[in-house]
Amino acid sequence: MLLIADLHLGKVSHFRKHGSAVPQNAIQKNFQQLDHVINVFNPSHICFLGDLFHSYLNNEWDVFEAWISQRSTIEFVLVVGNHDIISPFKYEKIGIKVASEILIDNFLLSHHPEERDGHYNFCGHIHPGVLLGGLGKQRLRLPCFYQTEHQLILPAFGEFTGTHILEPIEKVNIYAITQKEVILVHS
Amino acid sequence: MTQKELFHIAESWFQQQQWKSFPFQKQSWKAFLQGKNGLLNAPTGSGKTYALWVPIVLNYIKQNPDYKNKHKKGLKAIWITPLRALSQEIKQATERFAEDLGTQLTVGIRTGDTSQKERAAQKRSMPDLLITTPESLQLLLASKGYDKTFKNCSAIVIDEWHELLGTKRGVQIELALSRLKTIAKDLRIWGISATIGNLEQAREVLLGHQSEALENSILIKANIKKKIKVQSIIPKEMETFPWRGHLGIHLLDEVVPIIKKSKTTLLFTNTRSQCEIWFQKILQKYPEFAGEMAMHHGSINKETRLWVEQAIRNESLKAVVCTSSLDLGVDFAPVETIIQIGGPKGVARFLQRAGRSGHQPGKTSVIYFLPTHAIELVEASALQQAVQQHTVEDRIPYLNSFDVLVQYLTTLAVSDGFHPATIFPEIKSTFCYQAISEEDWKWILNFITIGSQSLQQYDEYKKVEILEDGLFKVNNRGIAMRHRLQIGTIVSDAVLTVKYLKGGYIGSIEEWFISKLKPGDVFTFAGRNLELVRIKEMKVLVRKSSKRTSKVPSWMGGRLTLTSQMSELLRNELYKATNEEKKSPELIALSHIFKKQEEESIIPGPEEFLIETFKTKEGYHAIFYPFEGRFVHEALGSLLAYRISLLSPISFSIAFNDYGFELLSDQEIDMQQVIDNDLFTKEYMHSDLQKSLNATEMARRKFRDIAVISGMVFTGYPEKMLKNKHLQSSSQLLFNVFRDFESDNLLYQQAFIETFEHQLEEGRLQQALERIEQQKIVWKSCKKATPLSFPIITDRLREKMSSEKLEDRIKKMVALLSKK
Repeated sequence: MLLIADLHLGKVSHFRKHGSAVPQNAIQKNFQQLDHVINVFNPSHICFLGDLFHSYLNNEWDVFEAWISQRSTIEFVLVVGNHDIISPFKYEKIGIKVASEILIDNFLLSHHPEERDGHYNFCGHIHPGVLLGGLGKQRLRLPCFYQTEHQLILPAFGEFTGTHILEPIEKVNIYAITQKEVILVHS
Repeated sequence: MTQKELFHIAESWFQQQQWKSFPFQKQSWKAFLQGKNGLLNAPTGSGKTYALWVPIVLNYIKQNPDYKNKHKKGLKAIWITPLRALSQEIKQATERFAEDLGTQLTVGIRTGDTSQKERAAQKRSMPDLLITTPESLQLLLASKGYDKTFKNCSAIVIDEWHELLGTKRGVQIELALSRLKTIAKDLRIWGISATIGNLEQAREVLLGHQSEALENSILIKANIKKKIKVQSIIPKEMETFPWRGHLGIHLLDEVVPIIKKSKTTLLFTNTRSQCEIWFQKILQKYPEFAGEMAMHHGSINKETRLWVEQAIRNESLKAVVCTSSLDLGVDFAPVETIIQIGGPKGVARFLQRAGRSGHQPGKTSVIYFLPTHAIELVEASALQQAVQQHTVEDRIPYLNSFDVLVQYLTTLAVSDGFHPATIFPEIKSTFCYQAISEEDWKWILNFITIGSQSLQQYDEYKKVEILEDGLFKVNNRGIAMRHRLQIGTIVSDAVLTVKYLKGGYIGSIEEWFISKLKPGDVFTFAGRNLELVRIKEMKVLVRKSSKRTSKVPSWMGGRLTLTSQMSELLRNELYKATNEEKKSPELIALSHIFKKQEEESIIPGPEEFLIETFKTKEGYHAIFYPFEGRFVHEALGSLLAYRISLLSPISFSIAFNDYGFELLSDQEIDMQQVIDNDLFTKEYMHSDLQKSLNATEMARRKFRDIAVISGMVFTGYPEKMLKNKHLQSSSQLLFNVFRDFESDNLLYQQAFIETFEHQLEEGRLQQALERIEQQKIVWKSCKKATPLSFPIITDRLREKMSSEKLEDRIKKMVALLSKK
C-alpha cells in the first residue's frame, strides 16, 4: 500500500478560475509524480491521506478521473481531510472508497495527526518542513517526514503546496527530502 | 478679465494676509493661466500650495465672471498627495483662499480613510477640488462612468512628485495621467518637487515621453536657499564608544541637554523599532519628559499621529522621536532643532530633515548628527561636505513595470471596459512604457484574458473577458471586488491591526513579528507595554501590561543604502584619515580607532583596495572594502562568491553594510587564487550575476510585490478580511511554480530585471568594478577582527551562496549537530 498525503489537486485551476494566473503546466507535474511513484513501487493499494482536492469541483477533476480510469488494477481509498469538500458520491462513482479514518491492525491512517492508545498513526495535514543550520551561518529549508514514537507525519505530495516548519525535539526522527535522496537529519 | 485684473485679486488677498508673493509663485500663476503644464521645484513651507491653487481659482474666475453668485458644479481640479496625513493641511489652505474670494468652490478629500457614506456623496456630486492619493485616483478609474467625472477637470497637481518618482505609485500616476489627458481636454498637469538631481527627467516622467504636454511645459525653480549647520555629537570618551551597533543609545545623555535647550526637537531615527526604543529609553532615564515627549511613525494609528502633529504646532511638545513619517509636508514652525540618529544614508534625505527646523525664511537650520557606532563618524564628516557642496541624488524612475500595467488594465476593465486600440497609444506615450513592444502588449492582453499565452482546452481561467464588440471587460463581480480591494493595498508584509481587548485601535504590526510571540508575551509598541491576548482574524488583541520587556517589533524593509553620491563623499573622507593635514573634528576623534585598525591592517587610500582575512569560531572570514553602499556590496558579494565557488565546491554566507562585505565559510578561501584569477573583472558581470544563486533569492523577494500588484496573490485589506483563505498562497510558492513551469513569463522576468536595475544597481556595480581594476589589491591576513570589519561581521542579515551538492551540505550540517 502506498500512502500519499496532501496532494491538493485542483488548486492551480482553482486559482486560475479566480483570476490568478498560476502556470497550467504545474497541473501535469502532479500526475507525472504520481506515475513515477507508481512505477517505482508498483502498489496494489493507494491511500490518499486527505486534502486530495483543494476546493470545489473544477475541470481538473476530469483530468483526475481520466487518470484514475487508466489505473483500474489499483485500489484507491481517500481518508477525508479538511479541504475535501467534494461529495463522497463523486469519488465512489469513479471507484475511490471514502473513509474518515482507516484502521489496519495497530495502524491508524488519518488526515489530522492523532494520538490513540495502542495505535501507530500515519497522517498528513501539516505539510512538515525542517530548517537546518550549519557553519558559516548557512540555512536550508526542506520538506520532511516527521516521525515520533507513535506517529509519522508525511510531507505534502502536491506541487503547488508550501511547508510548515516543525521543531526538531527529542525522541523525534526527521528525514529531509531532496530531489535525489531522503536523509535522516535529526534523531 | 485680463491677467492683470486676475493677478490683482490674488495680490490683494496676499496683502490682506500680510504676505508678499514670491517670484516663483507669480511665475507659476502666469504659466498656468497661459495653459502651460509644468514642474515646480520648491521646498516645503515655501508657499508652494498657493503657487498652484491660486491660478486654478483665477482660471475658474476668468471663465465664470459671475462666480460670486453662480456656482458651476463638477470636478475642476485634483490634488494628489503621497501621504494621507498631508491632505488635511492642503484642504485648510485651499479652502481659505477660495472662501475669502467668495467663490463658493468646495474642497473634498478622498483617501483610504474616507467613509463609505462620504464616497457615495462625492460620487453624486464631486467637490470642485478633490485632494486624494495615487491609489484612490486609481480607484476612481475603477468606477463606472469615470470619464464623466473627469471631463471638465482643468488641473491636476501632483504634490511631492520626487517622493513618487522612483516608485511604482509614480507609475500609477503616469498611467492615470495618460488616461486623463484623453478624457479631459482642457487639463493642465503640474508637479511639485523638492530638489533632486534629475529635475528635468522628473518633468519628462510626469508629462510623458516626447509628448505634446511636455512640449507645452515649463520648469520653475523657487531658488530658496537655506542655511544649514551640521553639528556632530562626538562622544567624550571615544575609547569606550562601541565599534558596532545601530541604536546609538549610549549617547542618550548627550542628547538630553540639546533637547532641554531648544523649544521643540525632532529626533529622526532610521527604523520604527529604533524609534520605539529611543522613546522608551529617554523616558526611562529622564521621566521628567513624560507628557512633553511623543513618538511618530507610520505604524501608529492616524489619530495619534494627527495629535502629535497638532501638538508640535501648538508648541506643547519638547521632543518627538520619529521616522521618515515626518519627512514630508506639514510645516512645523516651532521646531528649532533636529537630531539625526544614525547615518541618513542619503544627502537629499538629510537635507530634507535639516530643513524641518527653522522654517522661517533666512533662519539657519541646525541638525545634529548622532553616530550609532564609531565608524559612522566618517559619515558625519562626509555629510558636512555634502551640505557645503550642495550634492543631491537622482530618483530613478521605473521602466516597463508590467505588474502595474496589468493592474491598470484590469482597473479599466472593471469600470467601463477598454478597447486596446485606444489604450495602447496612451500607454506608449508614458515614460515608463515608452519602449513597450507590440509583442509585449499582446502578451499582457493574453495574460489578463486567458491567463497564459495559448488557450488550453480544459482551462477555466477567468479575469478579463473580450466582448463581441472587442471591449475588454470584467463581468465577474467577485473578481471586480477583489481587484478594487487590491488597488489600495500598500505592498508590504501581511499587516495585522493591534487593538485593545475592549476596543481601541493602536496601530499595525507585521505578521512575522507577531508570529514569534505566544499569548501572554509582552512587547513594546507605540510606546506602551502590551500583553498579547490572542490573534483573531487579522487582529492582534492586547491588554496593557506593567511587565518590563525587551521585545520591540521591527518592521521589514527599513534598510537604506548609501547613495552613490554619499559613498563617494564617504570614501574621500576616509582617504583623508591617512593624510595628516585637513582632518575634521570627527576624524580626529576617531584617531585611536584608526590606530587600532593599522595595528592589524591598513586604512586604504584612494589607490588601494583592501581585503582582510581572519578566522573565528564562526568560520573563515574574508572582508572586502569597496565603500560603495550596501546594495552594490550585496551584488559584488554574491558575484565574487559565485566566482570563487567555481574554483571548488564551497558554501558561503554573505554579509554587507555600507562600507564593505564579508564572505564567511566553513572552509578557508584561497585568497591568492582569487587575486591571481582576476575575479574582480567586469567581464561577464551580467551573466555571472544571473547565475549566482543570490540573484534568484533577491528576485524572489521582488516577486512578492509584483505578484500582489498584478493580482496573482490576493492579500485583501487587513480590516476587511474576506473569506478568501482558499485563495491565499505565498508569493514564494508562486515564484517556484513560475521558475519550474513558465520561466518566460514577463512578470517573473520583471522580478529579475528589477533586481538588477533597482536592487543590485548594475550600473553602479559596473563602475565600482572599473574603479577596483585601477586599484592595487592589498590583502591583509589578520589575527583577529579589525575595527573596520566589526560592524560587518556582526550583521545577522545574511545572504547565502553555495556550489556544494545539497545532499553534501545536509550531511555536513547533520555531522556538525551530532558533534555537539
